[in-house]
Amino acid sequence: MTPREFKEQPLLLDVRNLTIRLNSAAGLVHAVEDVSFVLREGQTLGIVGESGSGKSVMARSLMNLLSRRSVAQRQGSVVLSGREISALSEREMQKLRGAQVAMIFQDPMTALNPVLTICVQVSEPLQQHLGLSKQAARQRTIELLDAVGIPDAANRVDQYPHQLSGGMRQRVVIAIALACDPALLIADEPTTALDVTVQKQILDLLSRQQTQRRMGMLLITHDLGVVASRADIIAVMYAGRLVELAPATTLFGAMRHPYTEALFNSIPRISDPGHTRLQAIPGRPPQLHHPSPGCAFAPRCQYAQQRCHRETPPVVMAESSIVSAKPTEHLHACFFPVAKSASGGVN
Amino acid sequence: MSDQPGQTTPLQLRDRDDIVLRIEHLSVNFRVGKQTVQAVSDLSLDVARGETLGLVGESGCGKSTVGRAIMQLPPPTAGKVLFKGQDLCLLSGEALRQTRTALQMIFQDPISSLNPRRKVRDIVAEGLQIWGRPSQQSRVREVMEAVGLDPDAVADRRPHQFSGGQCQRICIARSLALDPEVLICDEPVSALDVSVQAQILNLLEDMKQRYQLTMVFVAHNLAVVRNVSDRVAVMYLGKLCEIGGTGSVYARPAHPYTRALLASIPDMNPLSRHQQDGLPLLHGDLPSPANPPSGCRFRTRCPNAQALCAEKEPLMQAVRQTEQNEPQSKTTGVVSDHFVACHFPL
Ligand SMILES: Nc1ncnc2c1ncn2[C@@H]1O[C@H](COP(=O)(O)OP(=O)(O)OP(=O)(O)O)[C@@H](O)[C@H]1O
Ligand SMILES: Nc1ncnc2c1ncn2[C@@H]1O[C@H](COP(=O)(O)OP(=O)(O)OP(=O)(O)O)[C@@H](O)[C@H]1O
Ligand code: SF4
Ligand code: SF4
Ligand SMILES: [Mg+2]
Ligand SMILES: [Mg+2]
Repeated sequence: MTPREFKEQPLLLDVRNLTIRLNSAAGLVHAVEDVSFVLREGQTLGIVGESGSGKSVMARSLMNLLSRRSVAQRQGSVVLSGREISALSEREMQKLRGAQVAMIFQDPMTALNPVLTICVQVSEPLQQHLGLSKQAARQRTIELLDAVGIPDAANRVDQYPHQLSGGMRQRVVIAIALACDPALLIADEPTTALDVTVQKQILDLLSRQQTQRRMGMLLITHDLGVVASRADIIAVMYAGRLVELAPATTLFGAMRHPYTEALFNSIPRISDPGHTRLQAIPGRPPQLHHPSPGCAFAPRCQYAQQRCHRETPPVVMAESSIVSAKPTEHLHACFFPVAKSASGGVN
Repeated sequence: MSDQPGQTTPLQLRDRDDIVLRIEHLSVNFRVGKQTVQAVSDLSLDVARGETLGLVGESGCGKSTVGRAIMQLPPPTAGKVLFKGQDLCLLSGEALRQTRTALQMIFQDPISSLNPRRKVRDIVAEGLQIWGRPSQQSRVREVMEAVGLDPDAVADRRPHQFSGGQCQRICIARSLALDPEVLICDEPVSALDVSVQAQILNLLEDMKQRYQLTMVFVAHNLAVVRNVSDRVAVMYLGKLCEIGGTGSVYARPAHPYTRALLASIPDMNPLSRHQQDGLPLLHGDLPSPANPPSGCRFRTRCPNAQALCAEKEPLMQAVRQTEQNEPQSKTTGVVSDHFVACHFPL
């Protein structure tokens, strides 16, 4: 689907000015700062960022999955299918989870209960949310396992998680997530623990299921390559902030934020000849305990000027650099955005 | 080089006098309960001076085990590890330890491989102290500076005060302190942030030039391996499937498993999104290394498998060269530098 077709789709998720600060031994962690984005039905939003940039805290907070003790401050609104959900009670939230919104986490083993059979775990939401009988739920479970590519599902259904490979377990987790036909799937690093060959199979499976079910998806990853060909829109996070957001083709064709550009240029490419010198980013991502004033990327940014160290750049619309992209589709948070397309973007 | 009677020289081994490391018929078995896991099985390869050999394959295929077996940690179940012609497996005690300093290994998890109670200065000097080499202080300073650490600022601090990237720099400094000839890197960047990964890869390339290192580079990221390696070896379930010049293997994989691996690399081009659901190049799950399939170990997942594949183990054969010039073909008089173990190469 092109971004324009998406314009017709109804809004599924509308996140506004989400800010989350967590308690920690070393002080307040500014994990998510003023993040806003929208997701339409059937759309995939890829969220990319390095370790510690706030992706998981953001994803978990959408579903109120952060423990109450650890959250020191939470601001902003989360509207799902027209309904404000950030202030729901735990009981109401539980009804949403699994039914309307499902989540997949990085480590498939922790998501499954080691002492329960696959059947029990997949049919639980079917019985709970859809009110299926035990027998019907079992039948539906086998169909679901089949749909996520587990061979010999009728027999596998009575096995335990440890009897399955990592890739199989992640398929089971996906089957559980899809059980009640959620409108929104939040996949937090669904393939990071898996081998490349399995990663491809799982991502293909997610894309296929998503298209069939017209599900909205938040695909969270630290790998720009994973979202490049899978996401309709890509959001880049740095130090808890959303620094750039654009349709995938626009982002790769005309990235504006210096961090996006630096990240893109630092990744070794299969098409480059051997021993090509990599364009490393100096320094390392900042700690989130004592955010210094100014742009968080400034200490590492080759374009930084005086102003960058004093003021925090707000999220603004990119001036359209290519004719086809509407300005509203491309956002960035930088005082001095790069204008050229990233080197290596085309060749 | 002389062969033991009854064992032929594997085809992929090169007859050159600048071979620094040569592994012949290497096997490593582990006893797990009542079962024997064949982690590495009859693997032969060599690395020439100044070369970087990339070692790739899925989790559990035996990459780390090969690296450790080279270091004799533990010594292999069978086979030879020849360092400049000398079989490390025949050495023991003092002689082994002396020779082994010329080979150093850096590990996947930089933070946990450093002793948290020691100062950076002592960690880097670890090997030097054991050997009582002279001019210790100046050597420690030199390697710390070489890896981009300021000795005056960091020497007296402890590992927990450093980021993953800095810890990896410390590990690299430690391994360089003894002036090794061979550096074995086991997933040196996979625990690091993407933005720091490039710093460490560049550093390893610089160190390789500066200290004329020969490297074995284990990684599961195929783009990283493409970048650093001159040759690449692909493993599957303890076996060597394919080996050759990196350019040649990546451009024209001859083993169905190599093709599947390369096809799994996420595409950095958003316009390719509709092409990704092609024919499956690989199906099913990795079989247990305790009970590998007969014949070709890849046959249970190979889309090209035929009856012969179950009956007979495929031997290494040279990959036919195409018209195109091989970037590496001038190395010796050898016709091909690209070998595959498959009955029906692509
Ligand atoms: N429960 C918690 N209590 C306190 N701090 C936390 C908690 N969870 C995460 N953090 C901190 O919040 C910041 C953001 O963490 P988060 O897990 O969202 O990062 P991420 O982008 O998901 O990283 P990764 O790629 O490693 O998963 C980090 O600095 C982290 O240390
Ligand atoms: N000490 C050990 N005892 C028993 N089995 C072992 C031992 N070390 C490795 N193995 C087994 O040997 C096989 C090869 O393991 P190895 O760690 O070499 O794989 P690898 O290719 O390095 O995988 P990864 O990419 O996950 O690091 C695996 O089946 C593993 O479970
Ligand atoms: S605001 Fe300044 S420091 Fe921040 S990314 Fe833009 S140019 Fe760089
Ligand atoms: S020998 Fe047979 S099973 Fe093995 S890779 Fe070749 S074609 Fe496939
Ligand atoms: Mg996370
Ligand atoms: Mg390993």
